Parts: sequence; structure tokens; C-alpha cells
Amino acid sequence: MATPASSGLKFMSNALATPEQLSNSSSSIDGVAPDLEASIRFAGALLTQAAGVYLRLSQDIIAQAIVTFTRFWIGSEGGSLRIYNVKDVSAAALYLTAKLSFQPTSPRSILNVYGFLVSKEASPLWCTNPSPITEKPPNPETYVLTEGQYQAQRLGLMRMEALILRTLGFNTHVALPHTVSLTYLQTLGVTAPAVARRVFAHLNAALMSPQLLYVTHQPNALAVAAIYLAAREEGVKLVNSEWWEVFDVDREELGFLVVAMRSMEGFATAELEKWKGRAVPMTVEEVEAEIERRRAEGE
Amino acid sequence: MVATSLERQGNGSPRFRGCTNIRDFEFLGKLGEGTFGEVYKARSKRDNTIVALKKILMHNERDGFPITALREIKLLKMLSHTNILHLREMAVERSKGEGRKKPSMYMVTPYMEHDLSGLLENPSVRFTEAQIKCYMLQLLEGLKYLHANSILHRDMKAANLLISNKGVLQIADFGLARPYEEPPPQPGKGGGEAKRDYTTLVVTRWYRPPELLLQLRRYTTAIDMWGVGCVFGEMFKGKPILAGNSDLNQAHLIFNLVGSPTEETMPGWSLLPGCDGVKSFGNRPGRLSEVFRDQSSNAVSLLRELLRLDWKKRINAIDALNHPYFADPPLPARPGELPSFEDSHELDRRRFRSNRAVMPPAPTGGSIAMATNGSWTTASGIRPPVAENKSSRLPSAVRSSRPHPSAGHGHSQARSSDNRLAESHTSQARLDEESHSGPWRRGGLPPKPPASAHQWHSGNMGRIGRERDYNRAGGRPEIYVDSHVHAHVNTNAVDYSRERDNNINLSTDRHDQSRESLSRRRSRSPFARDGARDTDRALYRR
Repeated sequence: MATPASSGLKFMSNALATPEQLSNSSSSIDGVAPDLEASIRFAGALLTQAAGVYLRLSQDIIAQAIVTFTRFWIGSEGGSLRIYNVKDVSAAALYLTAKLSFQPTSPRSILNVYGFLVSKEASPLWCTNPSPITEKPPNPETYVLTEGQYQAQRLGLMRMEALILRTLGFNTHVALPHTVSLTYLQTLGVTAPAVARRVFAHLNAALMSPQLLYVTHQPNALAVAAIYLAAREEGVKLVNSEWWEVFDVDREELGFLVVAMRSMEGFATAELEKWKGRAVPMTVEEVEAEIERRRAEGE
Repeated sequence: MVATSLERQGNGSPRFRGCTNIRDFEFLGKLGEGTFGEVYKARSKRDNTIVALKKILMHNERDGFPITALREIKLLKMLSHTNILHLREMAVERSKGEGRKKPSMYMVTPYMEHDLSGLLENPSVRFTEAQIKCYMLQLLEGLKYLHANSILHRDMKAANLLISNKGVLQIADFGLARPYEEPPPQPGKGGGEAKRDYTTLVVTRWYRPPELLLQLRRYTTAIDMWGVGCVFGEMFKGKPILAGNSDLNQAHLIFNLVGSPTEETMPGWSLLPGCDGVKSFGNRPGRLSEVFRDQSSNAVSLLRELLRLDWKKRINAIDALNHPYFADPPLPARPGELPSFEDSHELDRRRFRSNRAVMPPAPTGGSIAMATNGSWTTASGIRPPVAENKSSRLPSAVRSSRPHPSAGHGHSQARSSDNRLAESHTSQARLDEESHSGPWRRGGLPPKPPASAHQWHSGNMGRIGRERDYNRAGGRPEIYVDSHVHAHVNTNAVDYSRERDNNINLSTDRHDQSRESLSRRRSRSPFARDGARDTDRALYRR
């Protein structure tokens, strides 16, 4: 008989990627440079987050979708950026996650939102629309989906959904650190809302981390690191002992995660700078064009 | 041997991995067919175990991968208990040449020889008291685990309880299950109270508790316990104890058995919307001890606790496990001590069918491949469905005696199976047609009058219909199908008791052979008739 403890753990923990899986992504095997892969994955996570906001999905659904999106690209059996369009994987991950939640959303809503967000003229996202926002509203033709496009893309969405399921072995369960972090805060006697807000900010930012924090660390560790960081930033003093041990996190892991979370801002700024005036590739063709461009530059 | 860790499983494979290739399995034959899946018996080439492979059909592309299957898979992956069907893994069959064809997906579960319903149908099987206790304990353990993990099963019935030849019982079919958002049951506190609404379109009618029939939306884990009571009684009687032919009839049967609801026996009942608008059920005393007069007083006592009208006081699994019934002699058998029966499954049974004079009409939403089976087509040709209202227990009447044939029911008979599947998304009519099954050959008996010589058997009985999910404010242009309901994969993958002639292992009780009304109709989803109402009731789980 299973003990309640072990089954409870199952709800609270995630399957993690192995070091082999982390160092051998399908994309890297296919010759996508690591920095390019990181940029594209970051932009894809941003796109997923933005689409979730536009679809008015709650953050836990969006966060789960980003983790699913991240999982898809991991390991040699994962998806390759030279085979699958980032925007399609993002859309299907969001659709699939919403479908499993209590806030399902329709293929049409998904495709409408993605049509808008990847539009090079209309999108408010820097990673898809590098041109500065102008006063003039964008031409609707650049982002409104025709019925024909909708039908075709809907089929694509279904195919991608099935593909994600297959690639992940149907591991659609994602445990998030958000709720557990609030429990930890209460346990630590922290009542300042500013700290809680900062904790969530760090946890949400960590979804986009190039170090793939959500597939390498368990929710309890993410929660502890976010609390540690948030309390320092907000000047709130925590108990004077190694409190993280209580939550099964050791100093080394905590240190790593704190550094990783603190580096997010710098990473995001650097990405913005790096792609200044250019869109981050969101399709296989754009990835190929970018690889070609780099090759030409290198010569 | 690599230690189990968060990254790796005990066998060293990454926890985080894709599906197994179907070529890792050697197919041993087809076990059954359901609306949403075909079930095969297979041997794993990796570890030589026998498994059941349930194919997930992807006919309906509208909303992508069937949400019922998705949710079932997600739940099963999180559960781990001896008495819950274990989902070993998912397997994928890639089509040759990576063509346009979509790959097929399979759920891989251990092979279980029987389901409880199939065993009870077998006239040569008569359960001993120790055996009944053994199954009940396992059922309650499984349910206690589910409820402790905040999951409502919502389709408790004999057909969903799989039994292996080692005597192990497992709860299967999580197509209607969902997370429960209230605190889990506490000892001595029944099912507790629910603070939110859930859909009432759950649980196969014969096992549906009175509060659901009266449209209580804030129900609790107690709904599963009612089903346990029905199964418990069924093990004594050898057939479902409350086989209503409509919701209202079901309510009447219940109140006949346990007494009419009063503010004392079912507090709050008069505030409920009522069953089909009917809110008065006379003043009947209840005759449970009379109906089960052959059973010990503690058996009747447990049954009474399980079939309590008051859902707040109905016993929960924790307390039921401690009921004195299980401490009375004869003590519960251990699973390993139980006799085994020759396993069987739907397709084997079909082979015998052509010898039989009367075939049940083809189930409308039923087995997808019936056209390929001679006996099916012939049979349905001979006996077109007739909507008549009689309460025959004969299988041949099962299809036709539906008291409220839904619109389109008759037509659907003529549809090709593909068609039927294609329409499954839009047609309310098929709600309950999915349950189906093959007639079943009675084991160990000389040829009997045709009617009773067959059984309905299905892996997927009573797969409940579907409902729309407009749970986002304002609705949406696209239809949201309640995930729990429609595209369901036949879970009873692991079917069932083909009894070959003279294969009576458990046989001791001759009395069974004389049971003339052995044929059991399989319960089936009750919603066909509710087509019109469904849209009103569609506010699924807010």
C-alpha cells in the first residue's frame, strides 16, 4: 500500500531533467547554438506568458504551460527548433494546459491571440515586433486571422498538442512553488504583503530562466530561494538560523537558486539589447535564416 | 540498479521521457472494443509481463486530444495504490513513413482477468461471504485512498471494479473522476460538506445516490460510498439491486428499498430541486432488512450505513473499514486465497454468438467494429430496435426497452461506425449509447433459452454522456465539452470473464444455475433522454 506521504509528494514534486537531457537538447544536436537556443526559449516563454494574459488565464495555468513548453525542448528525444515552430509549441502548450484546468479556452481564442502576438506589425512584444510602437494603430490585416487560416492553424494546433503529449510521455502534471511559498512565509511568520509580492515576482520570472530552474529544481527549493531573496530585497529579517533546512533545501542548492534568480533581470536586459531592432525567431524558417545569417557573419 | 530519485526511476530510465514504442509489446489478441478505444492483450518484451493496451481513438479532432482521456491519464499517473488500476506507461504507435496519419496512443495497464460485474454474471460463480468481505475491504481501501487524495471517482459500479485471478480488486475508469475541492473525509464525520457546486451528470444511474437524483450540486465523497453500497448488495444478490429504467424510477426503487425521504432520514431533501420535478415520494417504510434477510445483521447494518439517504451521515470509507461486519466470522479471505476463474473477454464471447438465435440489436454507440462481426450485423438486421417500455431483464431487450429513447437513437443504428464516432461530438443522442458490449456467453451452462444465454457486457458501460462546459463567464463560440464526459476511452481494458463451457472453477453453489433472471442488463449512462435539459444543466462545475 502506498503511504500517504509518498503519494502527497507526488502531487508536490515534478519530474526533473537528467544532466544528460540538459546537456543534449535536440536543438543543439541539430546545430542550434546554445545562446540562440536560450534566446528563443526565453522569447517563447515570454510569448506564452503574454498570450496567457491576453486570454485572461490565471497565472497558475500560464506557469504550468511555460513549464510544459520548457520540458518539450529538453533532451535528445525532445523537440528541435529546426523542426518545430516555437510559436506553435507555445500555443499548444497553453491550449493543452488550459484544457486540463478549470479555465479551458478555445482553439479560436488561442489562435487569435497568437496571430496578434506574433504579428511583426501589431504585436506589443519586443521579441516579435522590434519596431517602436507608433501612434497609428496597426493595419488589422497584419494580425487578424482569416477563416481559412484559422481552419488550417487549428489542425496544426491539434497535431502539436498530440506531439507534446507524446514527447512528454503524457506527463502533464506540473507542481508549482507558488502556493507552497505562501505556506512557508506563514510558517516563517512573515506577514508583509510586499514580501509575498516579491516572492511571486521571482517565481514568475524564474519560469523564463535560461537555467531552466523549473525542470531542475523542485517547488520547495524554488519557493525557499524566492523567499530568501525577497526578504533581503524588502529588508525583512527572517529567523536567525538555517531555516531553509526545515523545508528540505540545503545551503548549496539555495545559493545556486538565489544567484540564478538574481541574474534574471540582467539576462532579460541583455536579451533585449542583443535583439535590438530584430525579432527573435519564432518559426523554423526564421531559425534557419538566423543560423544562415550567423554563418555568413562568421565568414 | 539505479536508486529511485527525482530524476530517475528505479530501473534507471529518466523519469522524464517520452512514450514507449508500441513495438515493445507483442500483441496477443484483442480483448474488446468500445466507442473510444480498442483494448488488446499484449506481452511486454521488456519484462515479459502481460498487459492490457487501450488504444485511444482520435476520431474527433475538434478539440484535439480527448480531454477525458487526458484527465484520466493525468489522474492515474498521480495515483499509486494496490487497489487502483495502475497506469504503467503510455505507448505510441508511429505510422509507417511518418505520413500524415496521426500516431495512435495506448494506455498500458496491467492485465486483469475480470471485472466484478462479469464475475457476478457468471452463474457458476457464487461468492462466499469471506470473498465478499475480501473484495469489500479492497474496494474500501482503494476508495479511502482516492478520497484522502481528494479525488471523486463519480462512476462507482461493479463494471468498473477489475479483479485479477490473484483476487486483487482494482478501481478502474477514471473518465468521470475529478479533483475534490473540500477537505477529505474525517473518521466519524461521513462525507463532510461541500462548498461548491459540481455537475450532477455523473454516476451510472443504477449506482446513483438519491441526492444526485434530486439534483444536489454540492455533493461530497458520499456519492461514491452509495455506489459501494450498491455493489455490496449486488454481490449478495448476483445482480444490480437498484436497476431503474429512468431517473424517476430509480428514485422510486431507492425509496422503496430504504424508505421515503423525510427531514429526519434525509435532512434538506425537500429543498432540493427534485427528480424530474417530482418531489413527493410517499411514505414508505423501507424494507432493507427484509430484502437482505438472508444476510447477517452486521452485513445489513453496513449496507444500511452505505445506503443512508442522509449524505452528510452516510458512512465514509475510513469508518466502513472499521465496521464490525469485517470482524465477524467468517473473516475476510486474503486475496491470494480466493479461487480463480478462467479469464475471458468480449471478443471471445462473440464467437459463440452466431449459434444463438436472438441477438441483441447492435448498440448504437457501441462497439465500433461490429460491422465486421457477422453476428452483430446479422443480429441487428433481424432485430431492429424498438422503443418499447418493458422491464424485461433479458439482454435482447436491453437496447430496445429504453424508456426514453433519445432523439436520433433510431437513426444512429444505421450509421456507420465511423460516422457515429464523427458525430460523437455533437450528438447528444449518443450520450448513453456508448455503453455497449458484447453479449456474453454464460459460462458452464448447456445452451439455454437464447435470451438468457447472452449477456451484455461492456467494458464501458454507462460511460456518461457529456455536457458542455461553459464555465467561463460569457461562454465562448467554441463548445467546451466537459472533459469528463464525452470522449472516453474504454477503461475496462482488462476484461473479463469469458467462461468456457464446463469451466466452473468456483462452482460450489448449484443454486445459481437455476437463477433464471441471471441476465443482467448493464447499467448504462442515463443521459440520453436528457438531451434537451442538458444545455440547461450544463453549467458544469463552477
